[in-house]
Amino acid sequence: MTHAYIVLILGYIFGFYMAWNIGANDVANSMASSVGAKAITIRQAVFLAGILNIVGAVFVGSHVTDTIRKGIVSTEIMTDPHIALIGALSALLAASLWVSFATWKSLPVSTTHSIVGAMIGFGIMAGGFNVINWGKLLAVVLSWIISPLFSIVIAFIIFKIIVRLILSRKNSFDRALRLSPFFIGITFFVVVLSFLFKTPLGEKLALESQAAVTVAVLLSVLLGFGAAVLLKFLVTDRASGAEAIFQRIQVGTACYVALAQGANDVANAIGPLAVIYFLVKTGNVGAKVPVPVFLLFFGGIGIACGIAMAGHRVMETMGKKITTLSNTRGFSVEFAAATTVLVASKMGLPVSTTHAAVGGVLGVGLARGMEAINFGIVYKIMVYWILTVPAAALTSMAIFKILQIIF
Amino acid sequence: MRVPFFSMFMTSPFEGLQEHAEKVKECAWVFQQAIECHLADRCQTFEDFRQEVIQLEREADVIKRRIRGHLPKGTLMPVYNFLLFRYLREQDQVIDAVEDALDWISFRSEPGIPAELEKEFVTLADAVIYPIEELSKMVAEARKYFQNYSEEQRVIIKNIIRTLRQQEHEADRAEDVVKQKVLNMNIDAVTVFHMVRLAEIIGSIADYAENAGDMMRAMIAR
Repeated sequence: MTHAYIVLILGYIFGFYMAWNIGANDVANSMASSVGAKAITIRQAVFLAGILNIVGAVFVGSHVTDTIRKGIVSTEIMTDPHIALIGALSALLAASLWVSFATWKSLPVSTTHSIVGAMIGFGIMAGGFNVINWGKLLAVVLSWIISPLFSIVIAFIIFKIIVRLILSRKNSFDRALRLSPFFIGITFFVVVLSFLFKTPLGEKLALESQAAVTVAVLLSVLLGFGAAVLLKFLVTDRASGAEAIFQRIQVGTACYVALAQGANDVANAIGPLAVIYFLVKTGNVGAKVPVPVFLLFFGGIGIACGIAMAGHRVMETMGKKITTLSNTRGFSVEFAAATTVLVASKMGLPVSTTHAAVGGVLGVGLARGMEAINFGIVYKIMVYWILTVPAAALTSMAIFKILQIIF
Repeated sequence: MRVPFFSMFMTSPFEGLQEHAEKVKECAWVFQQAIECHLADRCQTFEDFRQEVIQLEREADVIKRRIRGHLPKGTLMPVYNFLLFRYLREQDQVIDAVEDALDWISFRSEPGIPAELEKEFVTLADAVIYPIEELSKMVAEARKYFQNYSEEQRVIIKNIIRTLRQQEHEADRAEDVVKQKVLNMNIDAVTVFHMVRLAEIIGSIADYAENAGDMMRAMIAR
């Protein structure tokens, strides 16, 4: 078993490295709107993102991990523990390599796509094209197309609602204050639901879906009005209108994004690591094995470390670059991105946080909320997105061959 | 490009628009000085003022080309890009017309504007100063509107546009007065032509400013 333990240690190292990268690079996508709109400082962003990524990873995250681990690649290949072991390691190595290459070359590559591509590569090498669950893969690829679109639609609608019901009305400050329970409420509704659905916490409480929805509605109404009362005391600067209110609300949505990101992205780092862990501990991977909480925690810590060590620098650039983002826009972007990611993560779809955030900005842009947004960048992102999956798959295949020779 | 989120935010064309409007505004003062100088006896500095306007026009042109050159297809803005370009063209024509007016004077600086017409030309020049200056304020207010979409803000811009229209009307009247008087004076035909054309060019400054106002009205339409 010495080989297996070496693989496990390597798995931990590269799993951590992947998590670190998510924290260092992708946190910009989630915190950009808040820092850009000056709702929170960089220091606060680093702190909030770190803590909430861990919370999201541990309490909401397990479902996506399942999909990456055994949804796309059939469990048949797991019957040979040796092949599965080096396969999972090569997937992790290939994804790490790709993320490093992308960082070096400044390419907009998603960690989600890298890991999915790498898993496919290992699956093909281990068991041929038959072991790939093409239907499942198609669903994942479709989710990559649908998630930005979903985010665009939400951001567009939310911003239009804000313009219609608040900004264009007389006395926008009072309107914003009166409608704030609604905006805060829907945010809480999605968050509470995500905590209750398909999580260990939800199972422990054993709530039926109907009961869960009722609890979520009640809690969000309560919290929405509670927060609105708090806002009344906190925000006294009437002159700056609705923006001052949304500046405070945005602190909440920033947390919301960080939570969703932790829940969604932790799987990219610890999906293959979970496979390695089970193979080493039990000798085989059963059809259904829950991801241990400590692995999710490990991934969350990795993301938090990335945020703390490199996220600061990324956010500093961001604060200088995004100056035209106001609080109402930032709120719309963040709400759309986080809702998309959280819903996808609950459905077990490994979507990219980056794409959801990009979708959010485009949605507000289409609603004529930004002075200038480059829509053309979407085509560029799409090219890299299409390239990442086969590239990561090929890299993973090559590494698999090399590891097969070594071990 | 590593962080696609950043790459989406581009330099706002409204910044350029504002910068361009400031150049136009700077022109207003120089234009006024140039006209006053030309009307005064023994003017020494007219040519300096004219050169200053030429320089400002050149700088404004650079800004205009920069705005046009940095708006790729698919840029999402609060307004349609063709409206923005149309607005920019009108605003640019204001500064072009100012330059044209001073150029036209310089083509025949002697004997200059007849003493009988001085008062009328001062009135005409004054009527176009306000529109030139007001454009930068209008752009600034419009940027605020695209941020807060508030109805009060929209009213502020609409008021500026209304004033521009009224000013254009007054400039038109002043132009007519000059023309009428020139055509009935007993002076040589070249001077008549020079003066009529000058009145027309100065009058066109207010026309372009009004057109810019119309374009702005289209931009802030709901």
